[in-house]
Amino acid sequence: MSDVDTPAWEDLDVGHELSPLRLTLSAAQVRQYAEAAHMPGARFFSDDAARKEGLPGQIAPGNLSLALFSRLIVTALPGATLTRLGATFRVPVRPGQPLVVRGVITEKHCTDHGDLFECDLVIESVEGDRWVTGTASARAPAPR
Amino acid sequence: MAITIDRSVVGSEFDRTTHPPVAQTEVDAYAAASGESCPADGVAPPTFVVSLRSHRFMPKSLARLGRAGLDAGKDIELGAPIRVGDVLTTVSTVHDIYEKTGRSGPMGFLVLRTVVTNQRDEGVAVIDQRMMFR
Repeated sequence: MSDVDTPAWEDLDVGHELSPLRLTLSAAQVRQYAEAAHMPGARFFSDDAARKEGLPGQIAPGNLSLALFSRLIVTALPGATLTRLGATFRVPVRPGQPLVVRGVITEKHCTDHGDLFECDLVIESVEGDRWVTGTASARAPAPR
Repeated sequence: MAITIDRSVVGSEFDRTTHPPVAQTEVDAYAAASGESCPADGVAPPTFVVSLRSHRFMPKSLARLGRAGLDAGKDIELGAPIRVGDVLTTVSTVHDIYEKTGRSGPMGFLVLRTVVTNQRDEGVAVIDQRMMFR
């Protein structure tokens, strides 16, 4: 990752947009996550099973969206400690659909134990449809 | 299907599970599947905590709330990191239950709170899961 993508902590402030993650989950990745996270729901494993539940096809577990948010924070703010993470699952995330994970710093609190950053997060389609919204708190490393 | 809201269950504990020690293989499998990196050797990625499976996922007494629920959202307060070898205990309670009416009709929301501690009684996480029923 370049220095442009990860500015110094003191340069980070409200309004800073985190470098987005762009990816497309595959059906196999979704299954792999559901297995690793001990989520046995059939909707996470096949289109047929999901359709029997009234869904359009295989969907990704909401917890995988949380993991994508965590990945965004840790990638964009290396060395930060995630202290809180929240998400609202508005539309199921499905494999095969290109998605973008974005974040923006909304608050910055300076403390003796390292700056605390509040972020707004979203997982959206490439057309900008918001599938998952969230917020996070992340603490920068304590100053030496 | 009618939604039955019984607020008398709020605050009731419905599961207490002590999990087997966290294994390196579990952490590796979770990190590989989620794409998250481990903060340090032997430390699990932050969202590993949601992979803990308790004995009981839902309170028995809420069987008539509605049709099968959908995961509507989750909030996690993170505390002590999870390390390989940790023995974690999860305690789950009904934190809230309420009804909302949307464009498609009434919806029931159930908030389940799971408090996770480790063998040193350190707070590892507080997870609020919102389930939606129609």
